[in-house]
Amino acid sequence: MMSTPGPGPEVYANAQQVLFSSLTRSTMMKGLTQSQPQLLQLQQEPVPSQQPAVEALNPAVQQQLNLEHVKIRATSLFKAISRILEDFDGYAGTNTTPRWQDILGQYSMVNLELFNIIDEIRKVSKAFVVHPKNVNAENSMILPVMLSSKLLPEMETDDNLKKDQLLHGLQNLPIALQIEKMKARIYTIAAACESAEKVLSETRKAYGFGARQGPTITPTLDKVQAAKIQEQEKLLRAAVNYGEGLVSRDQRQMALALPMHLADVLNVGPEMQNLVDTSGVYQKITPTQINTISAQSALLQASGVQLLARSGTNMNTPSPQQQSPQQQQQHQQQLLQPQQRPKMMSLSQHQQLLTQQQFRQSAMPGPGQLHGQPQKQQFSQAPGNHKQFQGRQLASGIGGQLGQGNLMSRNLGQTSGAANNALFNAAQTIQNTQMVPNVSATMPSQSLLPSRLQYGLSGSNPQSTHSSQLLNEKMLNMGGANQTGMLPLQQQGGSQGAFGNMQQPNAQTFQLNMVALQNNPQNHQGYGMAVLMSLCVVCSWFM
Amino acid sequence: MECIVQGIIETQHVEALGILLQGLCGVQKEQLRIHELCLKSVPNLGSVSSEVKILCDLVPPETTWTVRHVGGSMRGAGADQISVLVRTMVESKASKNVLRFFYALGYKLDHELLRVGFAFHFHRGAQISVTVSSINKMLKLHATDDAVPVTPGMQLVEVTAPATSENYTEVVAAMSSFCEHLAPLLHLSKPGISTGVVPTAAAAAASLMSDGGGTTL
Repeated sequence: MMSTPGPGPEVYANAQQVLFSSLTRSTMMKGLTQSQPQLLQLQQEPVPSQQPAVEALNPAVQQQLNLEHVKIRATSLFKAISRILEDFDGYAGTNTTPRWQDILGQYSMVNLELFNIIDEIRKVSKAFVVHPKNVNAENSMILPVMLSSKLLPEMETDDNLKKDQLLHGLQNLPIALQIEKMKARIYTIAAACESAEKVLSETRKAYGFGARQGPTITPTLDKVQAAKIQEQEKLLRAAVNYGEGLVSRDQRQMALALPMHLADVLNVGPEMQNLVDTSGVYQKITPTQINTISAQSALLQASGVQLLARSGTNMNTPSPQQQSPQQQQQHQQQLLQPQQRPKMMSLSQHQQLLTQQQFRQSAMPGPGQLHGQPQKQQFSQAPGNHKQFQGRQLASGIGGQLGQGNLMSRNLGQTSGAANNALFNAAQTIQNTQMVPNVSATMPSQSLLPSRLQYGLSGSNPQSTHSSQLLNEKMLNMGGANQTGMLPLQQQGGSQGAFGNMQQPNAQTFQLNMVALQNNPQNHQGYGMAVLMSLCVVCSWFM
Repeated sequence: MECIVQGIIETQHVEALGILLQGLCGVQKEQLRIHELCLKSVPNLGSVSSEVKILCDLVPPETTWTVRHVGGSMRGAGADQISVLVRTMVESKASKNVLRFFYALGYKLDHELLRVGFAFHFHRGAQISVTVSSINKMLKLHATDDAVPVTPGMQLVEVTAPATSENYTEVVAAMSSFCEHLAPLLHLSKPGISTGVVPTAAAAAASLMSDGGGTTL
């Protein structure tokens, strides 16, 4: 029985087709019925026609894989299966009861064939396929990904990025170190997370948040409290940003002892300390303040007394009645008026002490003019005395005094600051000017000169801390000794018409004095220069 | 130039603020005790009166002196939008005779105050300094040992950062973001603008204090 020819040549790419053809031949030999047309169709497939379409494997690999063997096995398996199918069809067709023993026997044959072919396939595919041993429910899903040799491209880039991030800085180290560091990192992060968790849980416990409460109601401040707080806040901000409300005028007293950091900064000498401190105070002028001057007068008198302690000893003796209220008024105004500068005052006070000693008795025009007067007195005095020098035959005496004065200044000048130098220059000025009237007016007072000079000499080797003391005492003594000399000077001042103008506080005379001074530089040049220097320094302060 | 904001906090919450700052900044707190002397020039010294602050750091072992001049603040629409005050500031260390020097120049003491508290200096986007201090006034001149607080129940918090005209925007941003972390306890604003206290301050302070040692409330 010949089967009908197939529909046309079909190309089959696998060995199974070959099997089919061989199987059909074999089934035909066993007397197949025509109910298996599909098998018969394959009869005509040309086996050689497949071969040009298929790449032949490398003969060596072919030998290795033993494909023929696999083919044989597959064939036999196929045969067995088809046999069973045929029998069943036969039974179905003829409506006879199948003989189960035969069928079971055939099944066992099929089973055997299956195991054989599996073995063969394993051998074949060993070179190409990874065969997982342990497949169970949990890893069946990811096995394909795990088994794949390369990640998907995007997964790969992600992986690289993360790796770079993690291993940043560590890639140069050996692997073991890298691992160690990564472990350490992981450990610290884990510890931090754990502690954070702990804290959070404790907080929750403490606040009872675990019960899923809503946001707690924020407590609002009552109005009174809020107002108080606002007031305090205003105070605080004003104090910090603008300096308001920090110290009231009544309380602006000098501290009895300066704190450590200021003690050695502001302290030049024990007696200067007081002067400098209070002179450093700047008080804001407000209208209310001016009205309360009287209230402060007690305070200021106290400080004024302290300030004027030096001058008081001298000035009170000549004319206590005149001087004490005027002194206090003067110092009140000196402290109150903003135009005066502390250092100026401190130095000018020394000069004032001496000028006041000389001019105190003469002209105390009144509180209004006291402000300008001390400085002007001083200025007026210097050129006045300067002019007095001109006519005097005091070159030798003054030269001698200059020498000693310079000695004094050298020693004293070693103490800090140009301030002291200017002070000493001024002191020299005054010292010498005081000497001038004494010498000119009253010869008997010349005896004072040697005493002063001797004092100066003896005092010319002081420690630097005592130098200022010395200077003050020197000036005081000069002032004290000069009381007799005051009158003659004033008489001389009065006698010379130019000086009469100087005693009036007047800007023009002020400048006149300056001009006059500057126009007479040639007299006693060394001494004159000292005077000029002191004047210039003082002028610059005043400006 | 510097960027600065100020805030106030009640004295009872200062310790909690210290704990919060310790956690935020990551540095140790430093004690602060500064004697500030504000000197003003007299009108004759210059065309405009100027003000100089001399700061004396009294924290042992050594006292250090600083001179500081604060200038005008940035103005304009841009400045209004920034929540931080940006102003010119010049600061320099000085030797200890700086006070006498300024007196000699003609400056006079206008007011003085003493700041006592603590400070944190750290870097977070910008070099930020946070100081929490009580402002004290001295009843007697220069008597720093007898200073009393101006407002006993309230202390001042200042957050400052130096800046230049080129980078002040970044500094402002860094400061603003840092200040937000302090929101539970206090509000910070430009100097001169009052803020009031924050209503959640008490609760926030309590939580900060209680968790310090793991103790329960």
